[in-house]
Amino acid sequence: MEDTQVVAALVRRCRHGDAAAWEELVGSYHRRIYNLCYRFTSSADDAEDLTQEVFIKIYRSLDQYETHKGAFLPWLTTLTRNLLVDHFRRSKQERLTDSMDATQTDDEAGPTLADRLADSGPAPDAGLQTQERQKMVQAALQKLSPELREAVILRDLQDMDYRDIAQVLKVPEGTVKSRINRGRTELGRLLSRTYRQV
Amino acid sequence: MSETVHNAMPCSEFELLLGDALEGKLAAEQKARFRTHAATCPNCGPMLEFAQAGFASLQALPEVEPPRHLVHNILAATTGAEKAAARVTAVELGWRERVRGWVRPVLAPRFAMSSGMAFFSFMLVLNLAGVKLSDLRHVDLRPTSVQHAAQHTYYDTEARVVKYYENIRLVYQIQSSVRAIKDAERDPNENGKQKQPPRKEKNDTSSDPNRRQQQQYSREMRQHTLALNVVPAPLTEEPLSPQNRRVS
Repeated sequence: MEDTQVVAALVRRCRHGDAAAWEELVGSYHRRIYNLCYRFTSSADDAEDLTQEVFIKIYRSLDQYETHKGAFLPWLTTLTRNLLVDHFRRSKQERLTDSMDATQTDDEAGPTLADRLADSGPAPDAGLQTQERQKMVQAALQKLSPELREAVILRDLQDMDYRDIAQVLKVPEGTVKSRINRGRTELGRLLSRTYRQV
Repeated sequence: MSETVHNAMPCSEFELLLGDALEGKLAAEQKARFRTHAATCPNCGPMLEFAQAGFASLQALPEVEPPRHLVHNILAATTGAEKAAARVTAVELGWRERVRGWVRPVLAPRFAMSSGMAFFSFMLVLNLAGVKLSDLRHVDLRPTSVQHAAQHTYYDTEARVVKYYENIRLVYQIQSSVRAIKDAERDPNENGKQKQPPRKEKNDTSSDPNRRQQQQYSREMRQHTLALNVVPAPLTEEPLSPQNRRVS
């Protein structure tokens, strides 16, 4: 999607109360928004709630989107990012600061993530290993600072270009590149530490 | 990051090119310098390894499948909420409910008698004005239609009153004429036989209530009728004068 004129026409139809156009818009972007929220929060429930919240906000503020000023995707991502930042601040105090050494449950005696990866009993199949590896990456992503996390997510998982990321994050492109580099590097460092423990 | 220069490339430049290098966007000459710097710089080499690992792991992350009901929930929370609200007002609160809601305060026991009287008065006015609710159409409720109907009703009523008055007047005139003729016929017969009863007071109508009406409505007519009946009598009894003979 994201042919600017097509999306602009779709948005105009939504503004005129075209329910089919709104459904099309939701169908086109919900997966992307859900993934962004999930990668940022590492919680399926939070991602679902936030995605729903994002679309409610879009539905109410669709009139504020100026089709001639820019593409729809950066505007949508900015809205999502603002909600994610709000969510992060809201849950900062109560958020579980789980680390690779912390247990994944409230049970203090439970196995750590590294233990669970190492203690697999019979040799896990490749699919299971891949799933566990993906969980490790997600856990490492969660360890990044929000600034670095959002930068790498937008670049490497959402495939946005530097200019749009700079627009969304409201920082210069140089800062965006720097954050992406630092984010990737930090993520690799965290993962290598985890792999060593495993 | 130290600003050491390895292979004619400072570390700051290496860091700038790091992203493009990972994404394979460097030109061949730049790429060669970049690799040479990474191989010789003790800081940038490990950084490149970590960055590559992080980049590769992110690229390997698959797209997460959203819950199946997510789109449905979003639509229900946006357009569905509006539809539901509209449905509640349109269906659950139908016109009967809405009318009942308006009428309910008026139907309170303390207002029952007043409401009944108001309704009765309203219906009476409508009835007098000749309005039938069953014949009402939405066209009749336009201001111009209401004005025309009111004018029509007024002129119609006025015409009816005038006609009624004229009819009554004619009836009384005929009654008076008939009564005057009867009186005129009776008077000559009774004059010689009976003694005249004592004359009543002029306005004493206690014994004959119709007499007053007769006096009021047919005074002129009686005088005229009497003149017609009484005047020819002497003409038949008196001998013709010479002048009359001549004429006849």
